[in-house]
Amino acid sequence: MNDARDDIETGLRGQDRQATLEIGETQVLQGIGVSPGIAIGPVHLYARASFAIEHRELAEDEIEAEVEHFEWAVTRAEHNLGKILTLAREKLGDESVQIFDAQMLMLRDEALYQEVVHRIRNERYNADYAVMVVMTQHRQRVEASEDEYLRDRANDLQDVQDRLVMHLRRGKHLSTIDPDTIVVSEYLTAADLMLFSRRGILGCALDRGGATSHVSIMARALGIPAVVSLHGRTDIVRSNDLLIVDGLQGRVIVNPDEATLATYRTRQERYRRLLLEHEQLAPLPAETLDHHRVCLRANVEFIEELEVLEKHGAEGIGLLRTEVLLLMKGEITLEEEIQFENYKQVVQAVAPEPTTFRLLDLGGDKMLPVAHREDNPFLGWRGIRVLLDKPEILRPQVRAVLRASAFGPARLLLPMVTNIDELRRFRQFFDEIKRDLDQEGHPYDEAVALGIMVEVPAVALMADLFTQEVDFFSLGTNDLTQYTLAVDRGNDRVADLFQEIHPAVLRLIKRTIDAGDKRGIPVSLCGEMGGNPRFAPILVGLGIHELSASPAFLPEVKRVIRAIKRSEAVELATRALLASDADEVGTMLDQWLAAHGCGFDQFL
Amino acid sequence: MIVREVTVTNQAGVHTRPASMIVRTAARFKAEFLIEKDGYEINGKSIIGVMTLAAEQGATLTLLFEGADEEDAATAMEQLFAEGFGEVK
Repeated sequence: MNDARDDIETGLRGQDRQATLEIGETQVLQGIGVSPGIAIGPVHLYARASFAIEHRELAEDEIEAEVEHFEWAVTRAEHNLGKILTLAREKLGDESVQIFDAQMLMLRDEALYQEVVHRIRNERYNADYAVMVVMTQHRQRVEASEDEYLRDRANDLQDVQDRLVMHLRRGKHLSTIDPDTIVVSEYLTAADLMLFSRRGILGCALDRGGATSHVSIMARALGIPAVVSLHGRTDIVRSNDLLIVDGLQGRVIVNPDEATLATYRTRQERYRRLLLEHEQLAPLPAETLDHHRVCLRANVEFIEELEVLEKHGAEGIGLLRTEVLLLMKGEITLEEEIQFENYKQVVQAVAPEPTTFRLLDLGGDKMLPVAHREDNPFLGWRGIRVLLDKPEILRPQVRAVLRASAFGPARLLLPMVTNIDELRRFRQFFDEIKRDLDQEGHPYDEAVALGIMVEVPAVALMADLFTQEVDFFSLGTNDLTQYTLAVDRGNDRVADLFQEIHPAVLRLIKRTIDAGDKRGIPVSLCGEMGGNPRFAPILVGLGIHELSASPAFLPEVKRVIRAIKRSEAVELATRALLASDADEVGTMLDQWLAAHGCGFDQFL
Repeated sequence: MIVREVTVTNQAGVHTRPASMIVRTAARFKAEFLIEKDGYEINGKSIIGVMTLAAEQGATLTLLFEGADEEDAATAMEQLFAEGFGEVK
C-alpha cells in the first residue's frame, strides 16, 4: 500500500508544469484532478463545436422518429423558455420579457415548425439541419434590411435556432453515448454527468471547471475519475483515441504507449486496493489517538448517493444540497408533495443519524434556470435573500422538511445568511408554518434544529451574536474563502489564489468555533476543505466538531484523524493562525504530517 | 375582404416586440390576416413572417383581412399601428 502512495507522491513532486509534453507518440495534458481514480478507455467527444450542423439524409424508417424528436425539442425549449419567462417577469424589465415571449411564439410558428417538419418528411433532412436551413432563409430576409436596428433582429431568430439545436443535440447525444468510454468535452453540467454515469461512462476530461465546480463535486460523488481545467488542450483529442484519465495527478494521457499503459494499469489496481482498505475503516469512529471524537458526515446531492453513505462510514448527512436533489428529477420542482416524498425517503434512509437540509441556495453559480443576470451574482440575489423575497419558494420547502421530520431526525440550514435580521425573519416564518401544520394536523418533530451557513465573513466575525439564536453553525468554506480572499472560485485564472488554509480564513473558522463552544453550539464544516485529508489536522486542532464532505473523501479523512493526537494538532493550528500566508501554512502542514508519520494520499 | 394601408410610425420599426404584438392581436380574431410590403406577402399570424418584413419607420404596409370578424380585426390592427406599438415615434 505504501508503494502506491510513494509512487503517486513522487509523481506529484515531479509533476511537470508544462501544459503539454510529449512522451514518444504519447501526449500528456495537465489539468486539475478533481475526482480520484484512474480511467482507461476510448474517447467520446461530446458537444464539441456544438453548433456545427451536418447534413445527413434520413432513411425512410427514421423519418417519423426524427419528426417526434423535433417535437420533443420544441417542447423542451418551450418549457425552458416558460421558466425563464416566469423569472424574467419578476426580475427584469418588460423589454426582455417580451423578447422571450416572442421567442416562445416563434417555436410553434408555422414558418418554423411546419417548414421544418416538411423538410424532414420531404427532403429527408435531419432535424437540426432542417432547423438551420429554414431559419437561415428567414434570417437572410431580415439581414437584407437597410435599417441597422432591424437587421440586428436576425439575432433573435438565431437565438431560437440555437435553442432548438441545443435541445435536439442534447437528446441525441445522451441517447447515443456509449458505455465504457471517456467523455471529453469543453464543459459539462453536473446534470449531464449524472446522466452519463447512468450510461456507464468511465471518466471525463473537461476544458473548463475548477475543483469546486458542481460538475467536479458530482464526479466525486459518482466515483467517476475526472480531470478539469484543461484549457482547450483537449483539442488534440480525437474520437476513439485511447485515453487515460488520471484523476489523482490531474493528468490526461492521449494514446499512451505500451509501457505507460502497463504502469497505469498497475496504478489502477493499487488504487482499487486502497479503496478496499477504506472500506475496512468505515465502521470505526473518527477518533484521535488521545480519544477526541470528530463526527464525519456526508455532503449529499441526490437520492442515489444514499447507498454509499454506510460504505464510506458517514454518520448522517451534514449537508443535503436540496437544489440539486430537486433538479435531478429533470427539472427543479417546488411542489410540496414531491419535495416531501423525496425528503421522507432521505430521512428514513439516514435515520437514526440526522439529515441536514440546506434550503434552496439559488443564485450565485447554482445551476438553475435563472435567466436574470447580475453583474456580480455572488454578491447579489442569492441564498436566504432570494428565499425571504419569495415565500412561494420557501414555504413548500420548509413545510416539506418539517413534515419529513416526523420520519427521522432532520436539521434545517439557511444558506448565505449575512444579517441577524434574516435569521429572525426566517424564524418568524418558521413558526407560522409550524402553526399551519398544527392546524392541518400534520405531524412533525418539534425539535428540528435550525442552523445557518457561515460563509459570509460578517457572520464569522459576529458569530457570538448569532449563537444566541441558532442551534448550530455550518462553515461553508468554499464561499467563506472566496468572500474573504476576494477570489472567484469558478475562475480558473485566479484558482491558485483560492486558498482555504489562508490564515485569514483559518482565523474566521477559529472565531466561529470559539463562539460555538462558549454556548455549546456544534460547529460543522461542509466545504470542500473538510474532504481534504491534508487539512484534517488543522481543523481538528482548531476544534471542529463535525466535518461533512463528499462521502468518497471521508475514509481518508478518518484515517488521518485516527493517526494523530488532538493535543499536537492544537499546537499546529495555533502556529497556523499566526502564519503570514497560505504558503507558510502549507509548508508547516506538510512538515507536521511527515513528522507525525501520518502520511496520507495527497491525491485525494 | 378588407384591405387597409398603414404606415409604420414608431422609430424602431417593426422589430421583435411589435411583431409579437401584431401576432398576438391577430390571434384574437378568426379572420385570416396577410401583410404585404413591396410585393412580398406574409401571414400576419406568423411572428417570423412579420419579422422578415423588416418594416422600418415610414414603411407602408398593406393589410388584408378575410373572415367573419374581419371588421374588428382591421380596427384593432390599425389602432396598433397608429399607436406606434406604444413606442417612441
